[in-house]
Amino acid sequence: MNTRLDSFSYDDDIVRKFMWATMIWGLVGFLVGLIIALQLPVPGLNAAPYLTFGRLRPLHTNAVIFAFAGNAFFMGAYYSTQRLLKTRMWSDGLSKFHFWGWQAIIVSAAITLPLGFTQSKEYAELEWPIDIAIAVVWVAFAVNYFVTLAKRRERHIYVAIWFYIASIITVALLHIFNNLSVPAGAFKSYSIYAGVQDAFMQWWYGHNAVAFFLTTPFLGLMYYFMPKAADRPVFSYRLSILHFWTLVFLYIWAGPHHLHYTALPDWASTLGMLFSVMLWMPSWGGMVNGLLTLRGAWHKVTEDPVLKFFVVAVTAYGMSTFEGPMLSIKSINALAHYTDWVIAHVHTGALGWNGFLTFGMVYWLAPRLFQTEMYSKNWVNLHFWLATFGILLYVVAIYSAGATQGLMWRAFDETGRLQYPDFVETVMRLMPMYWVRVAGGTLYIAGMILGIWNLYKTWAKRPAKYEVPVVQAAPLSPTYTDDHAPVAGSAWARFTAMYWHRKWEGMPLFFSVMTAIAVIVASLFEIIPTFLIKSNVPTIASVKPYTPLELAGRNIYQREGCFNCHSQMVRPLMYETERYGDYSKPGESVYEHPFLWGSRRIGPDLARVGGKYPDLWHVRHMYNPREVVQKSIMPAYPHLQTTAIDFNAIQKSVDAMAMIGVPYGDAVNSAPALARAQAEQVAASIVAGGGPAGLADKEIVALTAYLQRLGRDLKNASSGTAQQPAVPAAAKPIAMAAPDGSR
Amino acid sequence: MADKDNDKLLDHAYDGIQEFDNPLPTWWKWIFYATIVFVPLYYWDPLGIGEGPGKEQAYEQSMAAFNAAHPKTGGTYSDDQLIAFAKDPAKVEAGKVVFTSYCAACHRPDGGGMIGPNLTDDFWIHGGKPTEMLKVIVEGVLAKGMPNWGKVLKPDQIEGAVAYVQTLHGTNPANPKAPEGAKYPPDSAAAPAPAAK
Repeated sequence: MNTRLDSFSYDDDIVRKFMWATMIWGLVGFLVGLIIALQLPVPGLNAAPYLTFGRLRPLHTNAVIFAFAGNAFFMGAYYSTQRLLKTRMWSDGLSKFHFWGWQAIIVSAAITLPLGFTQSKEYAELEWPIDIAIAVVWVAFAVNYFVTLAKRRERHIYVAIWFYIASIITVALLHIFNNLSVPAGAFKSYSIYAGVQDAFMQWWYGHNAVAFFLTTPFLGLMYYFMPKAADRPVFSYRLSILHFWTLVFLYIWAGPHHLHYTALPDWASTLGMLFSVMLWMPSWGGMVNGLLTLRGAWHKVTEDPVLKFFVVAVTAYGMSTFEGPMLSIKSINALAHYTDWVIAHVHTGALGWNGFLTFGMVYWLAPRLFQTEMYSKNWVNLHFWLATFGILLYVVAIYSAGATQGLMWRAFDETGRLQYPDFVETVMRLMPMYWVRVAGGTLYIAGMILGIWNLYKTWAKRPAKYEVPVVQAAPLSPTYTDDHAPVAGSAWARFTAMYWHRKWEGMPLFFSVMTAIAVIVASLFEIIPTFLIKSNVPTIASVKPYTPLELAGRNIYQREGCFNCHSQMVRPLMYETERYGDYSKPGESVYEHPFLWGSRRIGPDLARVGGKYPDLWHVRHMYNPREVVQKSIMPAYPHLQTTAIDFNAIQKSVDAMAMIGVPYGDAVNSAPALARAQAEQVAASIVAGGGPAGLADKEIVALTAYLQRLGRDLKNASSGTAQQPAVPAAAKPIAMAAPDGSR
Repeated sequence: MADKDNDKLLDHAYDGIQEFDNPLPTWWKWIFYATIVFVPLYYWDPLGIGEGPGKEQAYEQSMAAFNAAHPKTGGTYSDDQLIAFAKDPAKVEAGKVVFTSYCAACHRPDGGGMIGPNLTDDFWIHGGKPTEMLKVIVEGVLAKGMPNWGKVLKPDQIEGAVAYVQTLHGTNPANPKAPEGAKYPPDSAAAPAPAAK
């Protein structure tokens, strides 16, 4: 027997660093959220061009997910992993690289998103150089983590570690495969996938970013900090095993429920729904194990604010993981999709589950990390109540906003007309709810500020030098043999005894491989048919690539973040086609790199907007929406009339698109010239309509050309232009918007 | 729920954290099984609770049912009726509200024309008869950017709009848009009426 003990210490400095980053970035992310919440009822707050809703909204989501929740995960993971494995992190250098690299990525996001650099895929907006940096930092984290696992002094790995492993592996896969793109310049790229496939990949990523960035890491954290804070054993080891594996395997399939009634094929949508329904109990396994761990410790909850935070966190988790499967049911989704309902759902999760679990962890860790009592326990309690009421106000208001708008969109009157055909009317109705949201968010932020102040005051009374306790533990014996008595009975008895899993827990590498297999196999079941089955996307002959000018306009549409408020996907539902026109077909999106179907309608759908209004309408509407639609809450984009089109950059865009396989023909040689020619035509039609002159080289012309193209290909399907190749067609006079004089 | 004194602790601990060997909660297990059973029932649909014909066919069916329940009306106004609306102050007042909210953005609040044509002069692109105005308002001229307001406005709002537009005739606002289309009523029988496109 080896009785020699190793002496070592834990790296808590890295935990302190991540704690500060969590709280400070959290505050930033919440404040940006408050700003965009205010921009809806007060559109004048959109300070174009850098600080409009369309550019700040991705900053808010990225900051809260990757900066706040991300740093919180790292904080808790570095603290708990070292203790659960009885070893220091393998490399302090890699830990530091992880920390500073991650913060640098956050700073670069905070700079590039307001500048309009975006891939326009939700939660994957950051452009390709930053994506590469994320991959590098993540791999550094993973290497450090897996070597630490190999050097552990605890034979078996605890359930928290299982969840961390699953998160690290899956996030890497999701990030890499969703962000594959072809660059067109230093800060512009096009997804290699198009239309239906891109939408599928995006929501495979988007949904599982929620799963493996906001759910599994935090379940791991809960499994460490909840029993620690309550000083109670975990309720059920078997439940841990079962809900871990079912969660990891089933979650991956659920992504398509974000695309119900879209041009995604029915089979994928149905699988997404059914797996989401099956996911209900595996998700709740975490809640059950969390709350039942508190059996016999409920009296502590009344006294200990840390446990209060945890109880609300786990309850919010339970609510949002019930709501998720419910929202995935197609008929319910038809009502909720594109509305604020989804916004309320994610805030139950982010503010309640991630936020409260993080605050509980921070208040549990702070006295241990700063080696002194919390400065004020009353403030911790006050933070709890401010945040709780803040969430309540927020979600009650936004659930009602979602239900209200969803019901208004689908209402018909007795004459068979839409009850609220004027879209802006359905927006106006939400304003009182939007103000309540502002109040709720303000309370939540007030709690956060109080928390940071309390943390600062606690830090200020830390000892002059932190004590670094020396821990002793025996290294793993290389001659370890499994001395477990074999389970008697049938194969089923051996299986249900779960001893096989105990064995896996002693082999982290094998365990990781099994996790990766579960995730990859589940993914391939959906990915392979999505890419291979031809009938998923029936070809529409009249659908042609965008002209170079329209492509430039599309770049502007992406840059301004229009997709954050406007969908381009009419669902085959009566009230949608009545309002917008024919429903969207898969074949319409074959050149959409990336897809811009959108997920929220703060403004109306634009899939059929081409030709609906004259060119001049768009020019005036972009300059000041309220001149054209009195009650509009859209930001004004006056800079589009003064900013010149970068005609030479259009060539890069066309080349990149051609490289991914968009049939651009001759345009690969002459994109700027083609774009100029079309811009002259659009500018002439604006002048002929009585609009301002001199716009032929301004961005508004490109954006107008793009918007006027939307949905036109389908309308042209019968008009005989279908047979012509795309680029010569673009050089011909554009059919739309004949100059007014010709009437 | 098991009494905590009966719970069996497992013989391991991680950083002081122990685990009970409790069985899966019964309700948890059975709901999970039920959601699994739901999958084939929904997907292959032996009980009629599931997929149905797919979203496109379901849409066609719902549209057919809707159209059957709401036969298209319209075209039931005569010119005389619409001219009478223009003499009804209540209709005109209602029409002014509609005009200000929806039409003024393109035709100017005074009807003098801007993105859309002048509505105050004697010239009409698609015909100046009240029934022709009604047709343009209801069906739009989509190729030229006039939306089909029949989808947006209620019948009484459309009646009001037709009434109000008639009252704009001859109001001579400042800086009107140049006349477009044919004169109405025509001075001579030679003037064409290019209403049809």
